[in-house]
This record gives sequence, structure tokens and C-alpha cells, in this order.
Amino acid sequence: MTAGTVSKEPLPQGVGNFTGKWMIVTGIALLGVIVGIVGFLVEKNQGMVATGMRDLGTMQGATWGVYISLVVYFVGVSFAGITVAALIRLFNLEHLKGVARMAELLTVVALILGAMAIVVDLGQPLRGIVNLFRYARPQSPFFGTFTLVISGYLFASLVYLYLTSRRDAATLAKRPSKLRSFFRLWAAGYENTLDQRERDRRTSFWLALALLPLLVVAHSSLGFVFGLQVGRPGWFGTLQAPAFVVLAGVSGIGHIIVMAAIIRRVVRAKRRIGMDAFAWLGRFLLILLLGYLYFVVVEMLTLIYQPSIAEQGLSEALLTGTYAAVFWGSVVALVLPVFALAWMAITRSWKLSWLVAVGVLVNIGAIGKRYLIVVPSQTHGQLLPYGVGSYTPSWVEFAVAFGFFSLGVLMVAVFMKIFPIIELKDETIEVELDTEEVMT
Amino acid sequence: MTRYGMAIDLSRCQGCRACVEACKIENNTPSAVFWMHVFRLEQGEYPNTSISFLPRPCQHCNNAPCVKVCPVGARFKRDDGLVLTDFDRCIGCRYCEVACPYGVNFFNWRDPEAAFADYQVPFDDPALVPVTGGAIPPYKNPDLEELHGEEQRLTAGSAHFKGVMEKCTFCVQRVEKNLAPACVQNCPVGALQFGDIEDDRSPVSQFIKDKKQFKLLEDLGTDPSVVYVGGTPPASDAHEIERPLTKVEA
Repeated sequence: MTAGTVSKEPLPQGVGNFTGKWMIVTGIALLGVIVGIVGFLVEKNQGMVATGMRDLGTMQGATWGVYISLVVYFVGVSFAGITVAALIRLFNLEHLKGVARMAELLTVVALILGAMAIVVDLGQPLRGIVNLFRYARPQSPFFGTFTLVISGYLFASLVYLYLTSRRDAATLAKRPSKLRSFFRLWAAGYENTLDQRERDRRTSFWLALALLPLLVVAHSSLGFVFGLQVGRPGWFGTLQAPAFVVLAGVSGIGHIIVMAAIIRRVVRAKRRIGMDAFAWLGRFLLILLLGYLYFVVVEMLTLIYQPSIAEQGLSEALLTGTYAAVFWGSVVALVLPVFALAWMAITRSWKLSWLVAVGVLVNIGAIGKRYLIVVPSQTHGQLLPYGVGSYTPSWVEFAVAFGFFSLGVLMVAVFMKIFPIIELKDETIEVELDTEEVMT
Repeated sequence: MTRYGMAIDLSRCQGCRACVEACKIENNTPSAVFWMHVFRLEQGEYPNTSISFLPRPCQHCNNAPCVKVCPVGARFKRDDGLVLTDFDRCIGCRYCEVACPYGVNFFNWRDPEAAFADYQVPFDDPALVPVTGGAIPPYKNPDLEELHGEEQRLTAGSAHFKGVMEKCTFCVQRVEKNLAPACVQNCPVGALQFGDIEDDRSPVSQFIKDKKQFKLLEDLGTDPSVVYVGGTPPASDAHEIERPLTKVEA
């Protein structure tokens, strides 16, 4: 089993081994990305008129729609990845080591998608990329979104992902394979000596410590995009920022659970990601979910107890009107998981299928809630007598949204083929796999 | 210090929308875009209803939410009180639009040229000169392409770029020449007045002097530069009984 004798030995976790199944998944994801690109090109060719968005006021539309909802959602998903990774590092949670790298990857992928969703939403994307930096104004809540979230947080997450992956790169670079030079480049002189490991451990510890407050600030800044607007009923409020942070955690942890369940099966690493890891994630999700539902109740009570006239129209639209289906659908998608998780936590029997269903449900609920934050306050929150507006996304917006999710799958799939998605065990070259073969 | 502002006498307004028309021609706004809009409102319950009119230009707030939220400083407030958009800098994120409680912002949803199918008249054609007398059509007004103010930024007129935000400019190209905005100029009953609202002797200050005044949504703290007299703010049950064209299709 040493590198010298078995030169044809495959790399761990199917890295570098492009199987048929992988080709199919990647092909479908690639098709989805193409659909998204077509949608984007149509939008840029015709102008934003190709979307369902229109002006507020006389045009009775919503000027922020699916795209901004997706920005908020993707940035929210990114939250959990780096949080979990940082917590693992800070509190040395051994049993969770298996999900650390995929959590870091999830953060990076989700942030890239969030940044792209902002660009797609801009009327002048090229100007945006230049001007957002050239003329940056810290007074604008968007400043936090662009600098803290997209630049600072993405960069910090990339550094973190890189630092924590160098040991594996160094290990793999010692073995002959097609990707050997790539791993050598990745390791960049790292040779896994005691000295280097100590330095890496210290750096990533302090980086993790620095990332946690940055994360709260970044997600709060996204909440401030809405929470500071006194002219929009339903947006203005102090709960907006903390609720954003908590819902971000909910959707992100849900994502990690689903992702870990799939990857664990694909690379056959049931022992590396054990049920105790899922139980930890499930309990964490339960706590966040309870916190978020508390915020929802507080917010709704404030909105319906003695509302101003504008807020009355808004709460009616949410509870019984145009948005009732989305609202109650989201509430159900967030409340059902509480019962499921609480049951599993009390009986201490964690079922993976239930957890995956919970992960999917909370994400559907999160997308619904993000949409309900962005849109109704525009169509039903006019303070001058403009009349009630409406917003129906066009096929272009759905195509682009589909493209984003496909791109996310594509990025994770490609990463899995060039680097081990689960941290290799210390001192051993291979992950202990359940079977000898990797991903047929 | 000059602070330009507008005074609107609601007791004079008859809802004729001459101001809306003047604005569209002067500023070359695309269809379905109304930098100046006149609400025709009905309030009360039948048979005790009443009709009122409420012209709504941009309020050019002193504490403008749109200026605050702009991530690139394309929306800015000039020293003389005008709140303007730098069309060369705007990235089209539409944050100003959601931040504004007055609904005065309009986005260029499509290519501006496509929005002017009605204007396909060859004004340059020598054969047409005897008919037009050599007059420049409003949409070819060179002032709209010029840079204005101390800042020298492209702020006048509409329909410059696709995907850029625009709104009422108080006709900055006219203000620079000491002319009143087009809506004020065109009002047949003198319901609109424009000038320095901080100068007590200016016509606009005289116009509102000793009259009961209000500003729209004043409690939001935006400190608008548009002052209404001769009426009351729209009642909470007021609704529009007639609306302008609102459709924008590709």
C-alpha cells in the first residue's frame, strides 16, 4: 500500500476518476447552467423588461424580485458552512471533522452564487463590477453586502478552505497520479512537518475566531438592507438583522445535512460521517429553527396587533391575501421540521431519511420567507394611494434561478473530482472506506 | 444659501395633467414613465365621496433615503437642493427605488430607443424644415446631453441608457438657465410655483406665505422640498379612480 509499489492505486474518494454516473450528473448540471446563461442573455439583450419586475408606484410592480430573494438566500446558506467549520476548529469537535471541508466548500459556492445573483440583478452589470468598488459608499447598507459579505467573507472563506486543505494536498502530492502536479501546486511547499502543522493549526484557529464575528456583522448588514428602510412597511424594524442571521443558519445547516447525506453515500464514507455528526447538526438546526420561529411569531404579532393602515394591508396580503399560500406554506415547511427534530432529539434515534427531508423542507421554507421579505412590502406597502401592485416572475427569472442551482451542483461535483471532499485521516493516505471500490 | 423647492396649491389644481404632459415632452421620458404624476383620488364611501387631485413630482428631500442608500453615489443631492441621478455612474441596482416612500423612481427596463417608436419622424430631412420651421424636437434638446452643475455630471433628461435609474430632476437643464421646471411653466392655473424656498422674498415663499401647509409623508423624516397648500394630505381611504398607462412590454 505504499506509494512506490502501487502506482496504479486510485486516489481516495474517487478523485480523478470520472465515472459514468458523475458524467450524467455533471452533464445535467451543465445543461442547467446553459439554460441560465440563455435566460441571462435574453435579459441583457431585451433589457430587464424580460423579467417580471416593474417599477413601484404608477407601474404597480415590484422592482426587486426573485434575484434579490436568491441573493439573500444564497448568502444565508453560506453562513452555516463556515460557522460549522469554525466551530469544529474552535471546539475541536472530532466527530464532525468529516463534514468540515464540504461545509467550507458550501460557503464558497453559495457566496459565489450570491455575488452572481447580485450582478444578474443589476441593470448595468459591467458598470456595477467597476463602480461598486470605485465609488463605494459605506453609508449604503449595500456596502456591507458587497464588501463584507462578497469580498471579505468570500476571501476569508477561501483562505480558510485553502489552509485546512494543504495537508491533504501534500499527502496526495506524494503519490503518483495524473493530478500529482496539481496537488503539489496546491500544497505549495507544505510538507506536513510538525512545525508547519503547528503553524497551520494556529493560523486556522485565529482565522476561525475572526470569522465568527465577521459573519454576524455580514449577515446583519444584509438584514439592514431591508431593516433600515423607514418608507417600506414590513421592512423597517430591529428584528430584521438578527432574524436574517438565524434564518441564514437554518437554511445553511439544512443544506449541510442534505449535502453530507448525499456525499457520504457517493464516496462511501459512512464511517467518516457518522450518525453522531448528523445528530449534532440536527440539534443545532433545532435550536436555530426554534429561535427563528420565535422571531416570526414576534414579528407577526407586532404586525397584526395594532397595525398602521399600511401594515394592515400588508398583513392581510400575507395572512389571507395574495401571499397567503407562500406564507402558510413556508410556515408549515419550518414548523414540521421542528416536530420531526424534537421527536428525534427526545427519543435519541436519528433517522437519516427524516433529516434529509427536514433539510429540504427548511430550505423551501427559507426561500419562501426570503421571497416574502423582499416582495410584499413593495406591492402592498405603498404609503401614497398608488393602489395594490403585483409581481409574477417571468420565465427568464426562473431560467436564471435554475442556472444558479445547477452551477452550484456543478461546482461541488467538479471539486469532488479534483480534491477529497472529506478531510483525509491523519497519518494515513486513504480514508477508511466502507468498501474497497470508490464510486462505481 | 439657495434651496430650490416647489409649492403646489391644491385648491387651484383641476387635474388637467398639463404638468404631466410638459414633463414628458421636456424630459423625453419613455412611455409609462411619469416623473410628474397627478393622482386623481376619490375618498369616502358612496354617496359621501369627494374627488381630489394631488400632483406628485419628486420631493427632492433634504434627508433623502435614496441618496443614503445608493451604493455608488450616483444619486446625490446638490448644494442648491436638487436630488439628481448621475446616469453615467448608476449601476441599476434599484435600491433608491425601494427606499423611496413616494414611488418617484423609474427604471429603464428596456432600450430607450425602442421606447420611442412614435418619434420616428425624420426631423433632419430638409423637406420637413418648411413644416417644422427648423425647430428642434424636444427629444433632441442638446441641453439634455450636457453636463450640469458644479459637479459637471450627466443628470438631465431621460432615456440615456438601458438599465439605469431615472426620476424627476426639477428640469435641471432649465433651472441652470434660471427657468422654472416645465411642469410649473405649463400649469394653466398657476397651481405650481418654483424657486428658493429658503428666501422669504422669493415668489415661491410669497405663494405659500400664511397658508396652511403640509408635506407628503412628513413624519418619515425625509424633509421634502415640495410644499402643498390649499388642501389636505390624501385620506387613508383615498384611491385612484383613473390611472395612466402602466404597461411596459418588451
